[in-house]
Amino acid sequence: MSSGLSVDELDGPEGGGEAERMDDATPKTSQVAGRSPTRIALSRLAKDKVAVVCAGILLLLVLLAVMAPFICDWLNIYPDQKDPDAPTPSEMLETGGIPSFGPPNYPFTWDHPLGIEPASGRDNLALLLYGLRTSLTVAVAATVVSVVVGVTLGLLAGYAKGVVDAVLSFVIDFFLSFPFILGALALAPIITSRFGGDQDTLRRAELYSLIGILVLFGWMGLARLIRGQVLSLREREFVQAAQVIGVPTWQILFKELLPNLVAPIVVAVSLSVPAYVAAEAGLSYLGIGLTESPSLGKTVDSATVWFQRYPLYLWAPVVTIMIMVIALNLVGDSIRDAFDPKTRR
Amino acid sequence: MRLKQPIIAIAAVSAFTLAACGGDGTGSGTGSGNDDQPDTSEGGNTGQTQDPDREGPVTIEGAAEGGTVTVISTSGLNTMDPTEAYYQNTTSILTGLVTRAWTQYAYDEENNTMVLVPDLATDLGRPNDDFTEWTFTLRDGITYEDGTPVEPEDFAFSAARSFDREAFPEGPAFSNDYFVGGDTYKGPYTGNGLKGFDAVEINGMDVTYKMATPFPDMLYWASFAAMGPIQEGADSDPEKYRLKPLATGPYKFGKYVPEKSLELVRNPEWDPATDPARTAYPDKYEFDLQVEEAQLNQILLEDSADDQATLTYDDVLAVNFDQFKADGRAAVGSFPLTSFWAPDYTKITDIKIRQALAYAYPYEDADLAGGYIEGVTSLPGAQLLPPGTAGRKDFNPLPDHEPGSTDTDAAMALLEEADAVGYEVKFLYTKDSDSGVKVKDAIVASLTKAGFSPKPVPTTIADFSSLRADPDTDINVRSGGWIADWPSGGSWFPPLLKSTDVAAGVLGANYSKFNEPEIDAQMKEIQTLPVEEQADAWGELDDTIMTDYFPLFVTRYGGVAQAYGSAIEGHFIDNTIGMPTWKNIWVNS
Repeated sequence: MSSGLSVDELDGPEGGGEAERMDDATPKTSQVAGRSPTRIALSRLAKDKVAVVCAGILLLLVLLAVMAPFICDWLNIYPDQKDPDAPTPSEMLETGGIPSFGPPNYPFTWDHPLGIEPASGRDNLALLLYGLRTSLTVAVAATVVSVVVGVTLGLLAGYAKGVVDAVLSFVIDFFLSFPFILGALALAPIITSRFGGDQDTLRRAELYSLIGILVLFGWMGLARLIRGQVLSLREREFVQAAQVIGVPTWQILFKELLPNLVAPIVVAVSLSVPAYVAAEAGLSYLGIGLTESPSLGKTVDSATVWFQRYPLYLWAPVVTIMIMVIALNLVGDSIRDAFDPKTRR
Repeated sequence: MRLKQPIIAIAAVSAFTLAACGGDGTGSGTGSGNDDQPDTSEGGNTGQTQDPDREGPVTIEGAAEGGTVTVISTSGLNTMDPTEAYYQNTTSILTGLVTRAWTQYAYDEENNTMVLVPDLATDLGRPNDDFTEWTFTLRDGITYEDGTPVEPEDFAFSAARSFDREAFPEGPAFSNDYFVGGDTYKGPYTGNGLKGFDAVEINGMDVTYKMATPFPDMLYWASFAAMGPIQEGADSDPEKYRLKPLATGPYKFGKYVPEKSLELVRNPEWDPATDPARTAYPDKYEFDLQVEEAQLNQILLEDSADDQATLTYDDVLAVNFDQFKADGRAAVGSFPLTSFWAPDYTKITDIKIRQALAYAYPYEDADLAGGYIEGVTSLPGAQLLPPGTAGRKDFNPLPDHEPGSTDTDAAMALLEEADAVGYEVKFLYTKDSDSGVKVKDAIVASLTKAGFSPKPVPTTIADFSSLRADPDTDINVRSGGWIADWPSGGSWFPPLLKSTDVAAGVLGANYSKFNEPEIDAQMKEIQTLPVEEQADAWGELDDTIMTDYFPLFVTRYGGVAQAYGSAIEGHFIDNTIGMPTWKNIWVNS
């Protein structure tokens, strides 16, 4: 991502790069013990200020998401009205749906640091924390599943040759050519009508189907990448040697080839998480994502009409999404650079 | 009558208004349209005042000619064919500015009410003794926009046209319900021209309509665009006429892009001296449709120099209403809409549980979550008949229940009495509408507090009305709404509460599946009463049904909160339909 690089450039990438290379060189002279490429990359990463700061931010966000129930308990705020103690809309709002406490009409209150959601009377901080939880759950789950699917199919296609490769490549191309938004638009109502009987079932169905849709349209990039890598690795001596001495195919795939693919996989993971976060928010904003779980995208959608009177309502989820996506992207860039210093300009 | 856009529950209901009337072969009731007493209660009069002697021309003191009025709205215009115009916006724009009919409404600023006055007729029509014949006399010297004179035969053709349910599936079906031949004549396009059509008789300038069922409310039906003059011929072919109906009123169609924009320009053939209600001060109207809601609010809020002559007939966002009110640019009024919750009478058989629901319903929370403005677009009440309906009786079926308030303790007590704590309440909600989900959350919270076990059933906006209309859907409460076409109890009770053959899959608009032969008999009896007694009889029936059976409870009466730019004058609310008083608008330069 160019945005990541531009930040690096401010820090003086050339200098940093030189220093790293020297650092890499120094221990090798004093200590002959070998280090795996992953460890080398991690040590490079640890020296990347941008990566460290962004990783810190991400850690904080993840902690906030994980601790959401405890934080809400502690602050006595509720993301919905399921709890009998949760305030009703009429207790929190004035006529017209404007909050009776805090912004926009009243001064800041610590009871509701980010204000109250108009129309529903829910606490914005609680919504934000649970929305973050949803975003990260969806993004991480979608990433894990699409990596597993993508890597497996990529390995198979690259190593198998012949018909299997042709079929798998066709499938990859087929899914790549399928328009993502259109697919999501078409699938959302089908899922609702199929699982629409009960609210909790629907909530789970929505979550799983959203992850499913993201995976369905998200695994192909990695599969292609892996296939390409395998095609070139396949002809290398160590693979041929393994083949000659009769190592079983699955072992060649997972013991010989896969370790050599860690770098592209890690890079793909680190860059697909922010893409999934943005996709979840976008789909929920369009009303075809999640409706029963709190979601940052959904809050953005509700908040747009209130922007004039109550900007904080919109700013909070937008800024959170922005920080999260930028941090994830920058970390992803840094990881890629760390694994492959040659890409550094 | 239908709302502007078929997006929410209510809109879908009003489509049923029509379906129910169309399917009601016995003819839904009559009721008094002749009550001259103005109703000044909150919520306003819904138009039963009449003035058969009013004459044109109308002038507004201080009003200046000229200017262009821009009208913005989030919804498009459905068909603009006068015979099929049955949405709030299409019918009001046509009758207010473009097409004339026998009668029309004029705004009475003093009493903030609408008065029924003559339009193309010289009076409000002359019925025979049993209301099976109505005669209207056409004024002299009326012409279409192209200069051809309006003939009495054109009314016969428009009446025939209004029979054609196949060519105009969305149009009002009152002709089919009441007129002679309603069950046999199919209309000029579906049937064989005017062959077999004998509901209209012409005698010089007199046009006589003949009814199969007594129709005391004909003078209201005569105000619909569908009953205005339409020339027989190629020009009035439905496909063509919906794009350019011939104007008899002060404005005619200019450039019209369906669903997107409409330009209305002056019709020089319109003679103000013949019109007892319309004025035509602006030079032009420009309708800009399908504007984003947030953008629409922004344009009106900012009121910049270019947009000062702009108005909207959409409700403004609740959040902006205070601002518009403070600026003095809000037009507020009521219209005859009752929204209600109808517990399934065949499933929730214990009246105590139905009453407990009325106590437990979160009126205020649902208003807030749904974006309604309390006291403006949502008014509390206990009677099915909204304020302003002739004969409406003041009563409360739950004496301890303040209408519009929630009392979960009382609901709990009733549930305990009925030994039904934890009673499962299944209702539909639209999961793809933000406000639908929020209202559902509020209802679930409140019902849970009251001791019910709410089970909301998710559906989509698109499927909502068909699922609700299906008697077999696994729900036991239906939410609905009803808009009256004219102020009479006969347009409320028979369609909503007359027994329907649920076993045959016919629910109609009887959302509670209410089935009491005794009430059916009473409705029938009221329809045969002398007209002047009917209004009060409907009011009494309202009391009887709600007190003894409680098949549904009112969640809100409707109202509108529109806004206009600082250069617009005369934007009041036509409370028969909840739209601007087009006939009074002028631009203040």
